[in-house]
Amino acid sequence: MFKRLSVLSMILVSIQLVPTAQSAEVPINGTVQSRCVITTDTAGVYGNPNAYTLTTDPSSGGQLPVVRFDVTLADAYYAEITAPTSFSSSPTLPDTVTWTGDTTVQTVSDATGMGQYEASKVELGMTDKYDLTATGSTWFKTSSVATMGGNKAFPGGNYTALVEAQCIAQ
Amino acid sequence: MLRQLPLLVVLGCWVGYSYSESIAPYYGTTPNAASGGHTWSMDNVLPSGVPGLDIDLVIYNYTPIKETQDDMIVHIQNENANGTGYIFRESDDWSGVRGGTEIRKVVPVTPVNRSQWGNGSIEVEGTGTVDNASVIYNYRVDPCYNPQSNPNCPEYEVQIPEIETVDVDSLYDPLEDETVKNATASTDADRYDDEDSLSEEERLKEEEEEEKDSKERLEKALAAVDNTIMFAEAFAQDQLLQAMNMAINMSPYYSASINGGTYKESVVLVDKELPENKRGLRNGLAQQLLHEKMIEMQYNK
Repeated sequence: MFKRLSVLSMILVSIQLVPTAQSAEVPINGTVQSRCVITTDTAGVYGNPNAYTLTTDPSSGGQLPVVRFDVTLADAYYAEITAPTSFSSSPTLPDTVTWTGDTTVQTVSDATGMGQYEASKVELGMTDKYDLTATGSTWFKTSSVATMGGNKAFPGGNYTALVEAQCIAQ
Repeated sequence: MLRQLPLLVVLGCWVGYSYSESIAPYYGTTPNAASGGHTWSMDNVLPSGVPGLDIDLVIYNYTPIKETQDDMIVHIQNENANGTGYIFRESDDWSGVRGGTEIRKVVPVTPVNRSQWGNGSIEVEGTGTVDNASVIYNYRVDPCYNPQSNPNCPEYEVQIPEIETVDVDSLYDPLEDETVKNATASTDADRYDDEDSLSEEERLKEEEEEEKDSKERLEKALAAVDNTIMFAEAFAQDQLLQAMNMAINMSPYYSASINGGTYKESVVLVDKELPENKRGLRNGLAQQLLHEKMIEMQYNK
């Protein structure tokens, strides 16, 4: 027993005498400025041409939402814009709503570099995908139509739907 | 705080006034140069009478109308006013691109003075047209473009007019002037008394007379002063007496009293029947009949 204690004490002493290994972690900070900036240019407005339809068509009292993509690095991003498929806020609806929508290039800042955006876009359901091959600004407008099922009327109240715009790195 | 407020307002106004007098460069934008067509004169677009104006930015947008397969190049341009070619030209190649997509461009340019900017235009090369065109120029104005335009400009120099030096002697020599010659010509000495010719006795006599006259003038002056003082004293005494009399005359009015009491009505009217004035009634009836007769005469009745 005594031997064990003495050995243990020697080990403890030796542990105290031997210097421990030092370590440190040095942070490396960095900030990456996005080279693709999305800005809402114009907020959309739903017109109500009849009791069971809400539409952004200007001829029906609506306003098309416009979103702008500013890109400072060519061939590095895709623009993905999805028209609404539901209301983010609305009164209680009496039936299901059918949604249609489409996104098109409204304005470009470079005719040669961006002129083919609309022709070469990829459509997947309500989502339109554009390859941003040129630097500059591109304005996209999105149409949206919501139709109440069974020709039922939309209840009175405020309706909000969201267009989702994403800048996805290639 | 209420007292400080007016002061702040005054300071605010003063700052605003100072700003208006500032010599700092300022920026502005023109209206749409292409609103009246696809060619325009810069004199109609830029503000007039501003010498230090440089254009540093051109902002334009339009919508090309074309078929996808057509070749089309659109030039937004300004002629070089001081030479050949263009001072600004931006081209958009829409060949093989579908129309209907608006283009919106902001084109920075090296600041060039407005005097070099000639007529502007939108030129279409190929097949297609341009719709909803807008061309806006952004400009910068340097109020000290001509430093002499404002004394606050750093390079302002106070202009001292050059005064031409003239040799007056060459223009006019008074010694040659006939009038001066006549004035300075010697005159007949016999027509003036020569003081040197007076004898000692006559000179003493003249001095005595002058001394006598001087004394007389002094006596007259002193007498006038005495008279004035006496007149002033008499006037002051008179005023004092008038004031005293006024006080005496006014005193009775202050002390007068009016007897009070009641003044009863002394005239009493007794109620009595007043008969009608038959004569007056008859007279009134006659006038009425006459009046009606006159009215009927108007209608030939």
